[in-house]
Amino acid sequence: MTSEKAQAGPNAAPRRRRRIGDLFVRWSFMAPSIVLLIALLAYPIFYTIDISFSRFDIATFGAGEWVGWENYREVMSDYRFWDSLEVTLIYLVIALPLQVVLGFGIAFLINAEWKGRGLVRALFIIPMVVAPVVAGGMWRMILDPLWGIMNYWLGFIGIGPLDWFGDPTLAMASIIIIDTWRWTPFIVLIATAALLALPKDVFEAARIDGANWWSTLWSVAVPLLVPVIAATFVIRWLGAVKMFDIVLAATYGGPGKATNVVNLFIYEEAFRSLRFAESAAMAVIVLILTMVLTGLFLRGSRKLEELF
Amino acid sequence: MKKTQIGKLTSRRSMLAGLAGSLVLAAGPAASVHAQEGLGTADNPVEVRIMANEAFANTWQTLLVPEFNKAYPNVRVVFDGVPYTELLAKMMLDATSPNPEYDVLLVDDPWVPQLAEIGALVDLKGEKVAALTGDDYDWDDFNAAPLAAGEWQGVQYAVPVRSNMLLRFYNRTLYEEAGLPEPTPEQTWDEFFADAEKLVRDADGDGKDDRWAIDTYFVREPLTPTIWQSILNANGGSLLDESGSPAFANETGVKSLETHKRLLDYAPPGALGHGFSESLQAFRQGLVANMFNWGSVYKSTAVDPKSTTLTVDEVGIQVLPVGDVQAGAHRGIWIAGVSSKTEELEASWAFLEWLTSKEGESINASLVGSFPARKSTLNGEPAEPWLGPVYETLQQAYDVAAKGKMWRIRSPKSDAAQQILADEIARGLAGQASAEEALDTAAGKIEKALK
Repeated sequence: MTSEKAQAGPNAAPRRRRRIGDLFVRWSFMAPSIVLLIALLAYPIFYTIDISFSRFDIATFGAGEWVGWENYREVMSDYRFWDSLEVTLIYLVIALPLQVVLGFGIAFLINAEWKGRGLVRALFIIPMVVAPVVAGGMWRMILDPLWGIMNYWLGFIGIGPLDWFGDPTLAMASIIIIDTWRWTPFIVLIATAALLALPKDVFEAARIDGANWWSTLWSVAVPLLVPVIAATFVIRWLGAVKMFDIVLAATYGGPGKATNVVNLFIYEEAFRSLRFAESAAMAVIVLILTMVLTGLFLRGSRKLEELF
Repeated sequence: MKKTQIGKLTSRRSMLAGLAGSLVLAAGPAASVHAQEGLGTADNPVEVRIMANEAFANTWQTLLVPEFNKAYPNVRVVFDGVPYTELLAKMMLDATSPNPEYDVLLVDDPWVPQLAEIGALVDLKGEKVAALTGDDYDWDDFNAAPLAAGEWQGVQYAVPVRSNMLLRFYNRTLYEEAGLPEPTPEQTWDEFFADAEKLVRDADGDGKDDRWAIDTYFVREPLTPTIWQSILNANGGSLLDESGSPAFANETGVKSLETHKRLLDYAPPGALGHGFSESLQAFRQGLVANMFNWGSVYKSTAVDPKSTTLTVDEVGIQVLPVGDVQAGAHRGIWIAGVSSKTEELEASWAFLEWLTSKEGESINASLVGSFPARKSTLNGEPAEPWLGPVYETLQQAYDVAAKGKMWRIRSPKSDAAQQILADEIARGLAGQASAEEALDTAAGKIEKALK
């Protein structure tokens, strides 16, 4: 025992020193990121939470008197907040599945060997690099019932003229079209990479077994892709829930309240109405909702990974 | 707010000012040095920074500042343009900081109460500024309506630098083609709609309507309620009563919103999404016979061939149709005030005093096309012949607006109230709520917001 202690004794101190040194090195590598995260993420979040429980003091541009849950009660009783959440939900429920299905569908199609595939892939990237406000403005011109080219083209097949920004349903459709145009290529890129990474032997085996194109897609590719599809959905969800600039540029949230998504509503209440405290309360509610839903989606995504 | 030459001029100036205070008799030369430094010297020019709407900040920097520098060569004026939607928030943020960047704030019509409440602006008729103001600066020469935009609770915080009024533009050619006489400022809403029936027509004979009677603000945005409000005021209604409570959720308010909505029946397809730019575009292309828009667009709509297909002879301008009580208009004045924390009070006021003097206003009108607020400028010889009828209408609109109190809510919470109106008027126009329901909701919310 004594000899063991004696043996451990001289080694223990250097080992502790090494461990402390190791910890120091690790933390020193992490420190810049931690400082940046605190400055750029944690501080604004805590500042927003602080404001949401206070009366906003315009003279100091910061939190004033503590008012407890008053701002939250005010927000909860505002029908416009609930309407904007509903509008956001409608947009998400339609746009996300549409983009994922389209993205993976297009990726599957352009994954096949055909001439010009490279060019099409390159062209697909263009919408992604267009700024959302520019995309919104550009599509506003395309869809304009008076000057836009879309109604002109639709006229050739006997459709329209459609009032894209005057009809509430069509206005929401416009937003979804613009968003889908912009973000589907992103999903195509992920899906193409995922398809290329799939094991070739499984597809060869399916071909030898006589599987046709549809069977290969439905019974081989889709099950193998499910974890990637789920992960893509979560990534796209995190982007889509921030929807703001396209709406601002294309419809201003109208007609009426038809496309007034929650982020636009929060922005208007904060920077146009200068109701910073109530806007902070709304932002906190949306943050919590987003975190809860993201948690659920991640859990669902893990379950799917286990299943497939 | 910074001197171009970094030095201790401020402390030197304070010292000189202190000296002038204690040695009154000996103050003559010291005060003269102080005045010299307040307006800069060739070696030590002073800088005045101005926060303004990006829509015209650059033009003013390029065209007006050189003119000002002919009179004040040692004051360097720098305009910083900010997008309209962010302007008020940025101004408030700057004004509340311990060392604001800006000496002069160029603000929109309803913002003075908000800036006054946080003590951001200097009293322009107060002792300090009065001591710097020339004897020939004639406050009484301003029209009451634009000057009132810079006033709050009896204090003059800002002066009108770019006046504007919501006016009716009409296309004489389209009226003629429809076989209608030219409208007059006495035309009522009923007469307007009777004409509107005939103004919507198929001009090229392809079986589809391609000319319409009207385009204006219908989109969901804060300026759309100004159309409804001008109809409301013309019908004898008002936004608030004497006690400051909403007074528009009544028969007059509903009738006025229904009138605004009825305009859509005679507007081009997609007009529910139209605002400033779209209505302007439709009018300039000769597609609509009438447009309710801001008077300041007259030059680009009727004069400048680079931006319009129309000519001065084709474009008429007048106040909005007559309601139950009077004609309609709406005030939209850009006013400028001096920051209460500026270290360059003398130079800042020198710029504003020059810009809003009779001479400066004329230069501003002829070089930039800004509308004047002074009676003498409006009644004087216009710089261009086309300005004659425009100034005449503008004077009429000022009178109409002053009589009917045709401006947005004056309150530190005016923007919140305007946004509520924007939401509810948009719902009413889109048919998502009845006019009654929309106005009741707006009244309840505005009452709460203004408390």
